[in-house]
Amino acid sequence: MTQVSVTPESFEMVFYDAAVIGEVVAEVAERLGVEENITVEIDEGSPLGRSKITSYDPIELWVDGGAFENTKRPRQFGNARSRDTIGRLLLRILDRRSGRFNETPADDELDLMQFAAWDVHCVGRLERLGIGGQRQRRLYQFRNRHGFTDVADAAFDQLWDSSELSWTEIERISEDCRAA
Amino acid sequence: MTETKRPREPFAPWDRRTLPGLFDVEETAKRVGHYKWVELKLFEALGGWVATVPELDVKMRLGTHCYHHAWHADLVGKRLTEVREMKTDRLTLPANEHMVAFIDAMTEPEDAAMTIEKLVGVYRVLIPHKIAAYTYHRNATSEITDMPTVRILDFILQDEFNDWREGEMLIQSMIESEEELDRAMIHQTKLEKLMLAAGGIAGPGSIGDAYVEIPEEN
Amino acid sequence: MRKIFPAEELARDARFIRQTTEQRLGDPRGARIAGGNSGTRLAKLTPELANGPDRARALMHGIFTGEIQALEGAGRTCWDFEVGEDVPLELKLDMARQCWDEARHCEISIALAEHMGTELGEFAENGLLYEAACNPDPVLRLTGVNRALEGLAIDVFNTMKEFGNMAGDPVLEFCEDWMLADEVTHVKMGSDWLRRLTENDKERLDKALEFQKVVDRLFSFNGFRGEDDDSPIQLTRRFRELAGFSDDEIDEIADMSREAKAEVTS
Repeated sequence: MTQVSVTPESFEMVFYDAAVIGEVVAEVAERLGVEENITVEIDEGSPLGRSKITSYDPIELWVDGGAFENTKRPRQFGNARSRDTIGRLLLRILDRRSGRFNETPADDELDLMQFAAWDVHCVGRLERLGIGGQRQRRLYQFRNRHGFTDVADAAFDQLWDSSELSWTEIERISEDCRAA
Repeated sequence: MTETKRPREPFAPWDRRTLPGLFDVEETAKRVGHYKWVELKLFEALGGWVATVPELDVKMRLGTHCYHHAWHADLVGKRLTEVREMKTDRLTLPANEHMVAFIDAMTEPEDAAMTIEKLVGVYRVLIPHKIAAYTYHRNATSEITDMPTVRILDFILQDEFNDWREGEMLIQSMIESEEELDRAMIHQTKLEKLMLAAGGIAGPGSIGDAYVEIPEEN
Repeated sequence: MRKIFPAEELARDARFIRQTTEQRLGDPRGARIAGGNSGTRLAKLTPELANGPDRARALMHGIFTGEIQALEGAGRTCWDFEVGEDVPLELKLDMARQCWDEARHCEISIALAEHMGTELGEFAENGLLYEAACNPDPVLRLTGVNRALEGLAIDVFNTMKEFGNMAGDPVLEFCEDWMLADEVTHVKMGSDWLRRLTENDKERLDKALEFQKVVDRLFSFNGFRGEDDDSPIQLTRRFRELAGFSDDEIDEIADMSREAKAEVTS
């Protein structure tokens, strides 16, 4: 059973509940087959939506408070958005551990195109697991990095619909858009 | 080589326009003044309703149609100055007190749950009566002496038909139950009775008199 | 139908959730972004930003809800005032034209939302624009909306247009440019009517310009809480005074904000 620790334990600037966050993270982890402890640090003072993996083993995640926010109700916890954020982070961890991503640069060395391509591959898989989605949103993000072209759209479809691509394959699909 | 001296009829064989028309200058000005008043009231109402309807497609249509009728008010207002009415406010009047009552009743619905009533008042009652009155006027007035009015009414009628169609489709898409149908019919009936009392948007004679007087047999 | 339709009754379907101006200004996180901590100051919106596309989506949604309120505000101006007594007919004709323009902008924004993968109502709606459009004085109304807010809208549309251009997004750039052209007309309408209707009324002119400034600053603000005369709380009170709210109504709104804050911290 996944143990999730959330910091801070109580919030002053937003209406979040650490226990609820822990439950959501645990549920997503269970869906993805992650059975180890997870630490989540939340910067409640930031309405931005950034998130990152600060440690792969043990699993430690950091997010801007905005990454868990309900965009319809500012300062309120957003269940769907949080699941999407956590799902993407955990899937990247699993990808790196899978052996298919041994050539992947460190997170802070990925350029925007590479990150976007990997993100699409993650979110497509998450959608099929019932976590997140928003395909058109992800397509728009991908197009911003890879161009508003038929080639880019075809690349997006391939990344989204595929199950277990390797980093080499993802990088090639992304590079092909650059060349087009 | 064309024979330049050869005379032609000033009205080509296919140009069957004749004189006189049914309306003199004064009658045209009076009717046009009533039209302007109605277009004014309509565009004001459509604009006011935008904030009160929750349906996004209806909101946007009302905003678009608001402009159409404002433009109509402007067009007919300019025509008034051309039919010897420089002080256009003087003739920008309701045809009678029943038209005032009609507009008051038509613009009364405000609640967010009354979009059906708002649309019915405009698209099933007022606009069809406008189409009738404008059609009668453009057919009845002289196409020679009063062609500017005919032209304006033709432009306006194009908008009226399009707006009527869009409004009618909105109404049909919103009525999904017998209860909603009843609401539409009750409101329509209420307003039609007021319009009946008014005699049309230009008062009695808005669309002429279709009946024939038969003299009594001695 | 009443004259002056209150902002809290603006009709919306279930997708849209309203955030009040007080709630927006009461967000304590705003200080970090407004400049309290320069390390997290909001960068200019460009596609090079990691969250650029998502910020563009959020901004576009804000534009969309602003367009709806601008449409509603222009529409209310057609209804709320009597021709001759309150306003000339020509002003109403201009407002009707603005209704059409804003309706088109709504249509464009909806199409752009689909293009960018944004759901309608995905973000909270702030009602400040319509609140400015509720002013019982038509001159202040046009100054607040057409000069202040539509003027700011020009900056926003330019930002979005540049964003679209840099990203190579032909749809976004095309749409923003068309909307920009219309907004320039609206600002001009506001300026023209301000001049014409206050030609012999300096007091009304001064009040209108003050309202414009207050609206301007409230709309630009990111939620910084302060105690001095320029603080957003003071701005909001002055905004409501100029918008025609009574002292009782303003106090009631302030009380509601205080109660809401107390609920959070208890």
